[in-house]
Amino acid sequence: MIGEYFAGLARDIEAKLAAEPAASSARKVFALEVARLGVRLYSPGRPVAWCGVLAPFDLLNGVGVTSCFAEFVGAMLAGMGAATPPLEGAEQAGYAADTCAYHRAVVGAAMQGMMPVPDFLVATTTPCTGGLAAIENLARLFRRELLVLQIPRAETEAGVRFLAGQLERLARFAAGRAGTALDAERVAAAVELSNLTRGLMVEIYDLARKVPSPVGNRDLANFGIVVPLLMGTQAGVDVARATRDELAARVGDGKSGVAGERFRLLWVQNRIQFPNPLLKLLEDEYRAVIVVDELNDVTWEPIDPADPYPGMARRAIGLPLNGPAERRVARLRQLATEYRVDGVIHPCHWGCRQGTGIRGLVQRGFRETGIPVLNLEVDCIDARSFSEGQLRTRLEAFLELIAGRPRASA
Amino acid sequence: MRFLGIDVGSLSCDAALLDDRGELLAATVVPTGARNREAIARATDEVLRAAGVCAQDVTAIVSTGYGRDRVEGRRAAVTEITCHARGIQALLPGTRLLIDIGGQDSKAVRFDAQGGVADFAMNDKCAAGTGRFLEAMARALEVDVSALGGLDREGTDGATLSSMCTVFAESEVVSLIADGVAVGAIVRGLHRAIASRTLGMVKRIAPDLSGLVVAMSGGVAHNAGVVRALSAALGCAVRVPPRPDIVGAFGAALIARERFGG
Repeated sequence: MIGEYFAGLARDIEAKLAAEPAASSARKVFALEVARLGVRLYSPGRPVAWCGVLAPFDLLNGVGVTSCFAEFVGAMLAGMGAATPPLEGAEQAGYAADTCAYHRAVVGAAMQGMMPVPDFLVATTTPCTGGLAAIENLARLFRRELLVLQIPRAETEAGVRFLAGQLERLARFAAGRAGTALDAERVAAAVELSNLTRGLMVEIYDLARKVPSPVGNRDLANFGIVVPLLMGTQAGVDVARATRDELAARVGDGKSGVAGERFRLLWVQNRIQFPNPLLKLLEDEYRAVIVVDELNDVTWEPIDPADPYPGMARRAIGLPLNGPAERRVARLRQLATEYRVDGVIHPCHWGCRQGTGIRGLVQRGFRETGIPVLNLEVDCIDARSFSEGQLRTRLEAFLELIAGRPRASA
Repeated sequence: MRFLGIDVGSLSCDAALLDDRGELLAATVVPTGARNREAIARATDEVLRAAGVCAQDVTAIVSTGYGRDRVEGRRAAVTEITCHARGIQALLPGTRLLIDIGGQDSKAVRFDAQGGVADFAMNDKCAAGTGRFLEAMARALEVDVSALGGLDREGTDGATLSSMCTVFAESEVVSLIADGVAVGAIVRGLHRAIASRTLGMVKRIAPDLSGLVVAMSGGVAHNAGVVRALSAALGCAVRVPPRPDIVGAFGAALIARERFGG
């Protein structure tokens, strides 16, 4: 079902772009490349790896393995409005209904034959133990070899060497599963592409910071978390370039992403993945724009193509979701300042111990800066728990609150 | 000029009618029932009739509450957070913390020194500790919900409710009755449990309660037992306006007057 969905989506976008090239947009380019990735994942005969979110996708692309983090499937199912059967399947198999629905959905999907059997799996010990457990469950279900990348919590030279060694071993292992020897030149070429994409992402986030911001509420939704899947490929560069060009053109034309931008918001962690009216409400009734997502604006130093493993290790260790909550809160505050936001929305995804566990620290951190925070009680995947009226009231009350305060961008 | 505020809640639909000086002409509370629009029409008719005002003489309507978007003829829909805040600041000026417990929502609002909303929190995920929770418990106790405040006063401490899930708490109440625990003691236990849960919500937005002037609104504020339990949990007096259930509608009417009163 999911494979057919991706194939149909790719065909539809390709047909639209062929019929009306002028109607192309960065988001369509993004959706097309994501659909093509989905087609590759679901096509037999290609080496595939299911991974944790901090896996080095550019490295895996560089050795010829199509890879994807498992939570992507939960998000896609939710976006298609099809997450309920796998969620129910996982619950019937004994998964508690109050565990993370990203992981419940993907385990249920695997149990129901909705995921391709991978050649191997790569788990990461951060950002969450739930994700690690989900990959371990998948490895058991698929009876495939699991590699676990032990990611240190702090960046030390010893920690970088430790992880770099693991990454090199992963590269050799993955290349072997793809039927080749590890080709350093091929990896270097992927790293060059990854660096290009990274540079474009830096430009994208610089543009998004402008007042008014050229981004609309959907332009960069899931961008920072999904584009890494395309790192190390020309598709990644194309998506990032199209996005950069579109935002730059808007800035050049003096256009904002949300007409008459009034409120600028920071969205913590994940977006709500199933169709819902909240973004439209923000945009249409309050002219509020999510100028930055916590999971966007995650960049790193360029990686040395001739010696990629230490750079990749530093990237994984340095990602804000790794390490102590204090670091994450400090970064959130920095984002709020740089993007001049009026308020912060923290969806507190049900079942995410990492997200809900940090809630008080996030709120206290922003209280010190005087930036209001809205904690939304929501499951970002499981639409069965969605109560539109409840969330709408909280969101509207929050916007009424910040309407009575001076604009951060004034 | 006349200004109408309508608060369409899950349990009750409240209306308040003001004159051009902001004085309350009439107010009413009717059950919402299954049909919001009928309740809205009834509440509107009742306040207009009580004040001797024709519908055409109403300058502006502002709606609030869960069903705020269903009020026809509204000039604006404003959330209950803002309306309760506006209402309580008019009724009890100087309030720095408001606790509102309605039919299925409970909320805490913290005010700045000027009476503006500084922060708020609402109940998480479930409606435990709200009006509907108390209705279910009253049913289990086989008493009218309006009698809970009096039973609390007659009761003694001793009964403890360990669950706030409406279903489990109802079972627990039934077990306590079967064990021969006095109804008054059970009611006190229920009220303490609500106060404890509410305190958790309040602390999220007001970690330091010292010196805060606290008020309560919503239909549950009629229950003196809950007010007493809250006061004990918070360690301070909890002020209740004369008609706590119309604070939202009153605030909505004040906002109508401020925005559309010319």
